[in-house]
Amino acid sequence: MDSNQVHVTIDGNELDVAQGTKIIDACNLVGIHLPSLCYLKDISSYGSCGVCVVEVEGAKRLVRSCMQSVQNNMVIHTHTQRVLAARKTNVELLLANHEMTCTTCERNLNCELQELAQQMGIRDQRFVKTRKKPLALDLTSLSLVRNPNACILCNRCVEVCRSMQSVSAIQMTRRGLSTQVATFAELGLGNSVCTNCGQCSLVCPTAAITEKSSEQEVLDALADPNLVVLVQTAPAIRVGLGEAMGMEEGALVTGKMVSALRTMGFDRVFDTQFSADLTIMEEGYELIERIQKGGTLPMITSCSPGWIKFIETFYPEQTDHLSTCKSPQQMFGAIAKTYYAEKMGLDPATIKVVSIMPCTAKKFEAGRNEMDSSHAYWQHKGVVGEDEHFCDVDYVLTTRELARMLKRLGINFASLQESQFDDPLGESTGSAVIFAASGGVMEAALRTAYEKLTGNSLENLEFSALRERKGIREATLQIGDLACKVAVTNTLGNARVLLDQIKDGKSEYAFIEVMTCPDGCIGGGGQSIPSHAEQRSKRIESIYEEDRGKQSRKSHENPSIQTLYASFLTEPLSEVSHHLLHTHYTKRSAWDY
Amino acid sequence: MHDRLVAIEHIVAQHRHEHGALLSILEEVQRTSEHNYLSKDELAHVARSLTLPLADVYSVATFYAFFNLKPQGEHVITVCRGTACHTRGSKPLLEKVLTYLGISLEDDGSATTADCRFTVHTVACFGQCALAPVVSVDGVIHSRITEKQLLMLIDALAGKKEAVV
Ligand code: SF4
Ligand code: SF4
Ligand code: SF4
Ligand code: FES
Ligand code: FES
Repeated sequence: MDSNQVHVTIDGNELDVAQGTKIIDACNLVGIHLPSLCYLKDISSYGSCGVCVVEVEGAKRLVRSCMQSVQNNMVIHTHTQRVLAARKTNVELLLANHEMTCTTCERNLNCELQELAQQMGIRDQRFVKTRKKPLALDLTSLSLVRNPNACILCNRCVEVCRSMQSVSAIQMTRRGLSTQVATFAELGLGNSVCTNCGQCSLVCPTAAITEKSSEQEVLDALADPNLVVLVQTAPAIRVGLGEAMGMEEGALVTGKMVSALRTMGFDRVFDTQFSADLTIMEEGYELIERIQKGGTLPMITSCSPGWIKFIETFYPEQTDHLSTCKSPQQMFGAIAKTYYAEKMGLDPATIKVVSIMPCTAKKFEAGRNEMDSSHAYWQHKGVVGEDEHFCDVDYVLTTRELARMLKRLGINFASLQESQFDDPLGESTGSAVIFAASGGVMEAALRTAYEKLTGNSLENLEFSALRERKGIREATLQIGDLACKVAVTNTLGNARVLLDQIKDGKSEYAFIEVMTCPDGCIGGGGQSIPSHAEQRSKRIESIYEEDRGKQSRKSHENPSIQTLYASFLTEPLSEVSHHLLHTHYTKRSAWDY
Repeated sequence: MHDRLVAIEHIVAQHRHEHGALLSILEEVQRTSEHNYLSKDELAHVARSLTLPLADVYSVATFYAFFNLKPQGEHVITVCRGTACHTRGSKPLLEKVLTYLGISLEDDGSATTADCRFTVHTVACFGQCALAPVVSVDGVIHSRITEKQLLMLIDALAGKKEAVV
């Protein structure tokens, strides 16, 4: 036996596992899935819930399998009477102060606590409440709602926010029976360093952190005959929505999604991928201009709103590195309410733009003050007054909200026919599809920048070095006589490493792509729950499959984008582009609250 | 405020390399504060000076009962609400004091007058049940105390009359 291996027996199954393996993970290897409400492999190990207990021969007390590692010759029993009784009691203790409002709860039927209570046959609240009156909800954020009454103090959110995102917006505060997850001075997420990434909402086992819902507003808009309601769908939705509707992990459901949205009553079903192609045009040209004219380098992508708030907050002196391009969501809104309105003779004030996003931070982004360039455009033309204000994007729904609405409307998703996006804001290339996976924006930009700079056609469109599944990836592309060194990263903890390099004057890159969420938007904070590494791999595979199947795989070849430039924007970085498609940033601080 | 921020930076500089620096710093910041508490702005300044996340500093400040997050009165009156004291009238006693001072207990079980002269707390038991009801005033235990005696004590501290206990 390898000296790094230990021999264990789990419920009579003998096996050798690597030293240091947690008992709970060793159990998984023999097909025994232990319940766990606080443990999150590789992320959080807090040992607070006690539902993962097992019996270890020779140990007097039951052992928390998420806290202890296997030892040589350990004999483990995972479902003795004693174990089952302890687990049940521990869940009952967690339920003591719980509100038990499952029927009206966002997480009904998708809640780890509920599932365990069911599994254990718990039928009443046996322990007395220690909390006298309900705690206040945190409604300060544009993206998320925290309900401390549903919180079981598992610490997962705290750990994700701290270790994965390096944000630390929330912490365990007070102690004993008064312990609570809270922001600094209980000012609320909306008054904190929170980036709105929503990763905490993905890992929360209960409904203690959920997205701030816009479902009702969207239903109201759909029911209003005076409005023209346009919908745009982010690339990652087509590989996330199927899961949320009960299909297999990573199911590619582009056509069904379009049919479902049409059935819901949207007047036009458009695609954020159209504006992703547009982003590549603007951002590709911006990069070329910065390289040629000695602008600030490295240039860093700006399409992930959690990342934007992060750099504004923690590295305000570095915001010049950000591309000035708005995100595809915001470019879509600005174009829909100007170019498209003009083309179709629509009154821009009657257009509502709804986005379906894998992201909670997109709600914050849509609400930023400066995201109203379509209004400024019409105001400048004297068509609307200052008091008739509207935003470029009106409502943002996460994958989860859309799934809930489809269920509510009784739409049998899996059996829907496939259909096509509407023209012209529904046309897109493979470059736009891959925005959904970490590294995709970089690949898409390189596909276009290479061809525009050299005039040659790029032979190999897939950059395998940028697709490796690791925190920070790099590649060098020879463009004519320019060796262009680029880096790609996801999660804010990793982004910090690249920003520190810039701060120390040690960054060698010309262009960096940063995505807030693990593996990019397919792992976004608004996606279907759960969203573990395995699900994410399947979503990535589907994204690359969709790219390969696209007629065109380069943004600059999108015919509708070419028409948009020819008839409206004139050229990338034109004056109209600057007004509608580019933005500026806000300097914030990590300590001024 | 500016002077106070400079003073905090000075405290941070003195302790920052010590083991358990944050606790010593918070302790000294509270001690040197006007009303014996850590304000939101002071906590934020400590966090900034140590480049620690705000939420982490808040977590520590709320964990230890020693730290106050609200202004404390110059004089602290602690009324026992244990069983023995309860049966000997600690509830009306507490209510009387609160009414007299014109304040009411907040969720955290304490109250401070607007002029920061008095803070009233409750405690679960002083362990002096035989001498109930028990009240402590600025750390001094007063046993078998009556409403009248307590109010006179308060008056004395407020500088109105001589104490006659
Ligand atoms: S959080 Fe879970 S257990 Fe609690 S009310 Fe919601 S669904 Fe039910
Ligand atoms: S949304 Fe992201 S940044 Fe905000 S509290 Fe949750 S994990 Fe932290
Ligand atoms: S909010 Fe959710 S993730 Fe955070 S501690 Fe509570 S139950 Fe756990
Ligand atoms: S999963 Fe082990 S204690 Fe919670
Ligand atoms: S009950 Fe008041 S001192 Fe014990």
